[in-house]
Amino acid sequence: MKTIEKYIEALENKDFEGLGNLFTRDGHYCDYCPNGTPQHEYHLYGKEAISMFFRNKFLFRQYSILEPVILNDRQAEFIASFGGYNVMAIASLQQLSSDGHIRRLTVRLK
Amino acid sequence: MGVFAVTGGSGGIGARTVMLLKNKGHETINLDWKKGDIQSDLSTPEGRQEAIDELHALCPEGLDGLICCAGVSGACGDLRRIVSLNFFGTISLIKGNYDLLLKKGGTCVVTTSNTISQGNLRMDLADLLNNNNDDEQRILNLVGRLDQTSLSVGDSVYAAAKYALARWVRRHSASYAANGVRINAVAPGNVNTAMTATMSTNAKMALNALPIPTKYGKETLMDPEEVAQVIVFLSSPEARGINGVILFVDGGTDALLNTEKVY
Repeated sequence: MKTIEKYIEALENKDFEGLGNLFTRDGHYCDYCPNGTPQHEYHLYGKEAISMFFRNKFLFRQYSILEPVILNDRQAEFIASFGGYNVMAIASLQQLSSDGHIRRLTVRLK
Repeated sequence: MGVFAVTGGSGGIGARTVMLLKNKGHETINLDWKKGDIQSDLSTPEGRQEAIDELHALCPEGLDGLICCAGVSGACGDLRRIVSLNFFGTISLIKGNYDLLLKKGGTCVVTTSNTISQGNLRMDLADLLNNNNDDEQRILNLVGRLDQTSLSVGDSVYAAAKYALARWVRRHSASYAANGVRINAVAPGNVNTAMTATMSTNAKMALNALPIPTKYGKETLMDPEEVAQVIVFLSSPEARGINGVILFVDGGTDALLNTEKVY
């Protein structure tokens, strides 16, 4: 399974540990979509922080995705729901490590 | 050495604060409804007045510090008590003992909560508390009409009361400081106290979803002493430059969940 597919699968399954483990130790998760929603942008550094952060968001239903589509090896789009506020988003794997872990992932409004 | 009054000093963060202050040689007066040096129920106007009167009788020369730790959790099952004790109990004690703090140029530290930054709060209630706090009974009547059995309602009322408390500190800090009394607040994360030990399974699950970065991988809560140390610091002359601050003492939970809030 490709990294982008694993990323979408982790989000759909609300698998916060699996999501964190896709990243390098200092991997950067950057989501600009919350601008305009009641939440702030997500800027998370490191697999542990990403895992802890999404554990919170998933349990409190503050983040989920719908209708994902894999566009290519590096990109996927989906509807992101921030506590019920829906936006169309596109996620891009900007940098990967030599062993396939994510060094930088950005999510922007489509 | 100074004289410090501590509300809720019989357990949790309050008890550790009393211990640390005593270790430094200070005299402490514990105001708590059980096992207190002054025993009164700070959730009622009568109990608060008793506490204020007794404190004035004990400390006619003034107070070096007033530290407010008394409170109940959002899961206590009594929404009115969450508001009457956590908010009104605290601000009434501060206002009622302000003259004692003025006498010695004392300092005040209030315990709020890091839930104030997590979005799950009744902002309408927080606004009522800050803007209409001379109307306690009507606000409590309103709170009494909310769903008393819902954990999420309890949490949102708790967060609103703590948010209002933090904002009350900010609003009063400049005037207090100009008169020689510093006032600050700590915003603890999830602390291992009697309050958290008696929580339901669902409440504990929610608790664990508020990760504490300094406790990563341990599934443990913060030790009350971690918060008490900061309270004692804020109460000390070493913190003389700090006023009107809401200091998060949560092992980094707030920073994790709100990276973009730098102010």
